[in-house]
Amino acid sequence: MAYAYLFKYIIIGDTGVGKSCLLLQFTDKRFQPVHDLTIGVEFGARMITIDGKQIKLQIWDTAGQESFRSITRSYYRGAAGALLVYDITRRDTFNHLTTWLEDARQHSNSNMVIMLIGNKSDLESRREVKKEEGEAFAREHGLIFMETSAKTASNVEEAFINTAKEIYEKIQEGVFDINNEANGIKIGPQHAATNSTLAGGQGGQQAGGGCC
Amino acid sequence: MNFFRGVMGGQSGGTQPSGVETIQKLCDRVASSTLLEDRRDAVRALKSLSKKYRMEVGTQAMEHLIRILQSDRSDSEILGYALDTLYNIICNEEEEEQDGITDRAGHRQGGAQTGQGTDRAGHRQGGAQAGAGSQAGAGEVIRNDGLLLLQQLTKGNAAIQKIVAFENAFERLLDIITEEGTSDGGIVVEDCLLLLLNLLKNNSSNQNFFKEGSFIQRMKQWFQLGEESGGGWSAQKVTNLHLMLQLVRVMVSPVNSPGATASCQKSMFQCGLLQQLCTILMATGVPADILTETINTVSEVIRGSQVNQDYFASVNAPSNPPRPAIVVLLMSMVNERQPFVLRCAVLYCFQCFLYKNHKGQAEIVSTLLPSTIDAQSISAGQLLCGGLFSTDSLSNWCASVALAHALHDNSNQKEQLLRVQLATSLGKPPISLLQQCTNILSQGSKVQTRVGLLMLLCTWISNCPIAVTHFLHNQENVPFLTAQISENLGEDERLVQGLCALLLGICIYYNDNSLENYTKEKLKQLIEKRIGKENFVEKLGFITKHELYSRAAQKPQPSFSTPEHMLFDHEFTKLVKELEGVITKAVHKSSEEEKKEEEVKKTLEQHDSIVTQYKELIRDQDAQLTELKEQVQLLTRQKEQMDITITQQLSQIQQHKDQYNILKLKLGKDGAGSQGDVQVNGVQVEELTALRVELEELRTQHTLLQTQLTEKDTLITSLKSEVAQTSEGSAPASDNTKLLKEVEALRVQVQSQQAEISQLQSERHALQRRIQTTSGSGSEAEIVKLSELEQRLSTQTAETHRLQEEVRSHSESRAQLEKELAEANSTVAILQTEKSKLQQEVSESKKEQDDLLVLLADQDQKIFSLKQRLKNLGETIEDEDDLDARDQSDEDDDEEDEEDDGETE
Repeated sequence: MAYAYLFKYIIIGDTGVGKSCLLLQFTDKRFQPVHDLTIGVEFGARMITIDGKQIKLQIWDTAGQESFRSITRSYYRGAAGALLVYDITRRDTFNHLTTWLEDARQHSNSNMVIMLIGNKSDLESRREVKKEEGEAFAREHGLIFMETSAKTASNVEEAFINTAKEIYEKIQEGVFDINNEANGIKIGPQHAATNSTLAGGQGGQQAGGGCC
Repeated sequence: MNFFRGVMGGQSGGTQPSGVETIQKLCDRVASSTLLEDRRDAVRALKSLSKKYRMEVGTQAMEHLIRILQSDRSDSEILGYALDTLYNIICNEEEEEQDGITDRAGHRQGGAQTGQGTDRAGHRQGGAQAGAGSQAGAGEVIRNDGLLLLQQLTKGNAAIQKIVAFENAFERLLDIITEEGTSDGGIVVEDCLLLLLNLLKNNSSNQNFFKEGSFIQRMKQWFQLGEESGGGWSAQKVTNLHLMLQLVRVMVSPVNSPGATASCQKSMFQCGLLQQLCTILMATGVPADILTETINTVSEVIRGSQVNQDYFASVNAPSNPPRPAIVVLLMSMVNERQPFVLRCAVLYCFQCFLYKNHKGQAEIVSTLLPSTIDAQSISAGQLLCGGLFSTDSLSNWCASVALAHALHDNSNQKEQLLRVQLATSLGKPPISLLQQCTNILSQGSKVQTRVGLLMLLCTWISNCPIAVTHFLHNQENVPFLTAQISENLGEDERLVQGLCALLLGICIYYNDNSLENYTKEKLKQLIEKRIGKENFVEKLGFITKHELYSRAAQKPQPSFSTPEHMLFDHEFTKLVKELEGVITKAVHKSSEEEKKEEEVKKTLEQHDSIVTQYKELIRDQDAQLTELKEQVQLLTRQKEQMDITITQQLSQIQQHKDQYNILKLKLGKDGAGSQGDVQVNGVQVEELTALRVELEELRTQHTLLQTQLTEKDTLITSLKSEVAQTSEGSAPASDNTKLLKEVEALRVQVQSQQAEISQLQSERHALQRRIQTTSGSGSEAEIVKLSELEQRLSTQTAETHRLQEEVRSHSESRAQLEKELAEANSTVAILQTEKSKLQQEVSESKKEQDDLLVLLADQDQKIFSLKQRLKNLGETIEDEDDLDARDQSDEDDDEEDEEDDGETE
């Protein structure tokens, strides 16, 4: 399918906070209560529309376990957006946010948009982290914030789409260098039409040269 | 790099300190030298040491080498050395490493960074090509080294495979393949394809990424083979195409998750990749191994995908007349001269075409049915029958299995195939296909043939009682089977015995007891007597114990090391798995147990029927319930509406009552207790007061006008008197002060002139006296004086005239004032007529009020009757006093509203 932009996302956060479930809910619109531990990273993709433009999201869901940290770090650099997830029913996952954020900031490009997500908002009775605390943390560190429930799908779409909106705005403002794919952003085929025809022409010439 | 140290720890005894020291020195030089040449030499030295001192170089130099890849990327030579060194370190490491997480971490850093390096090298390659040719050579070296390194890194390591993919490897590799001329390209294309295979094989995440990145569409161009390359099938091209086909297969492999495979199959059809592959399939001059792999690839692209299967059924070979591709392929399958692997591929293709394809199965079976046989052209059915009864055992086996695939999970076609009749030698009656199969079976042909036929028969009659009956109907079949099973035969015959046991078992398990001689019970007795239960079960077990069984069970594609090993079909192994247990149970069960089971079944059925009855009852009741609920809803809605009207009417009643009280009160005050006016509508009272207020206003207006009139009158009279005064010329009026002053001034002037005249007269007298004295000498002067005086007199008279003129103008202004007065009088008259009109209106509204009173009386009557009705309906009507209290506040609002209405009227 043709798209205007392609954004690469990563999902990070402690193990068991519901990263894979968020991705599954977003890509497949379903919830799987029992989910295997993610090994390394898993890939998912979906098309969304922002400002009337088709945007393809490629999402890498990372393993939360400490032992995979070195692998998951490799993905920070090439991502345009990150969903940093904690579990509102487990305070320790909230307490670890600083470490996650440091890690992300250290390894990612400086323009990466980070969305803070307090997941499992459906489990209100077991809540350990107040919404205000999440908001305060986000404010303090310049993140966007949202509480979601991968189970009920509440705010899941919004979390992914709002992150994309933020990236899109940054592109409009010229903050991102969209020609550098290392930033996790790619212009779609029809938007880079002039570029691609040029490249195609060159390719043809090269091929011709090779034959001679 | 801890893991290297960890690994090294165990071997540290064997390392030489001199080597470690040298490497340390070289590393220092790489890190600190400012001259590129020095660094280059140091890296070259590290490279030469890297094979011998793998561990040491790995532990100490890795970081430096990675830094070189980043900082010295402008120098292709040093890059080449660095990559070679890394390759030496990591590639030899491969066998020793066991996947631990820390290992991966170490690997990862090498992998990611070199991946980046390769990307850059690839980029640079593009630029170099555009420039001088010599430089391109250098760039290629690095790129190719990078490819080899990545190949090593990605082997069997999913984490690195994913990271490499994340770093846009797919895009780069596909670009390089395109740049290098796809399948016509050299070893670089091969390397790229091998790396792609590494990245995608058994890595569902990367496969998903590959699909989502729309890279399948880019594979299509790989298979656009021009016709012009006549005989241009170089070994490299064959290798490249082989890998390309494998890549397609990786994406749609039957071992992938069904959803993932299905979506890849869909996009392969949508982008035209399948069509492209079918073109190769039907093209001439394609090398046999490429053709074989293409057939296998097409097989997996269509497997289980209805759309793709339908498309495949419609493909025709470009022969004259055009033949369906399926027919052309089947011709190869039953052709002894075709290579074995090709024949296997065709069988696989046919199986995949029929996999979960009821439509395709019906089409194949229909070519065998008497009504649809077309004598003119060769059909698939004809070819299969030909294969079934040919002298080539391989053809027999392939045709049997192919036909079995037309029957899998399709009881309809199993029944249809029973109708197939075969024409034998002239003069003899036609024979059924089923009969013919059993005949060949009993003729004792090759094991392969018999295994094939037995698999076909098992598939055919399983889960199809009619077919079982048909099979048992032939009196020779059961004795043949029991003989086969009970005989003590050699090793080669064991599989056939096992299959015979399975066939007999199916005859028991799917028996509907329609044949008296071969009921379940009788067959079991037969087994017990002739074979023995234990023996039977043991023979049945021969199938799964066969060495080739488990291999066939692994994957759908038929792959056999030699034609002799071609014995098991994948789908058949599934059937065996399904049936072995149930048949064993069925055979072991005694007749009593069976009877009991029957009874249990019956009671269960009875229960079932009872349950269904209840279910229906519940369903009916449910429907009734919903109907009633709807009714209740309707009624409650109606009730609510009624309630609303009642409250409305109650409030109306209350309103009327209030009005009544007000009027009563008013009447009491006024003392005018005329009985007709007792009930006065509140609205009209309001109207009346409004009119009264209006009247009052008019009255005040009237008095105001009258006072104005009197004022005007006084003004007029005062003006009149003024005028009178001015005409007399004495009375000083405010308007005439100026005139009076002037008159005064004139008078003063006249007085002064009179004084002058008298002075002159006295002077004259004096002069006369002097004349008298001086004898008439002064008479002339006197005349001059006289004329002067006379002139003065004339001016004075003129002035008097002017004053009189002024007086006249004053009288004119007075006349104008009188006119104004008349106008004012007429306005007064108009106002008086208006007033009378309003008075008339007042009387009219009074009349209206009377009418409304009549209406009110009617309404009251109505309300009374409604109340009566409500009482009759059983609705309790609250005490009127309570209502008064409750509705008081509401009432006020209502009244206000109604007041507004009254005014707008």
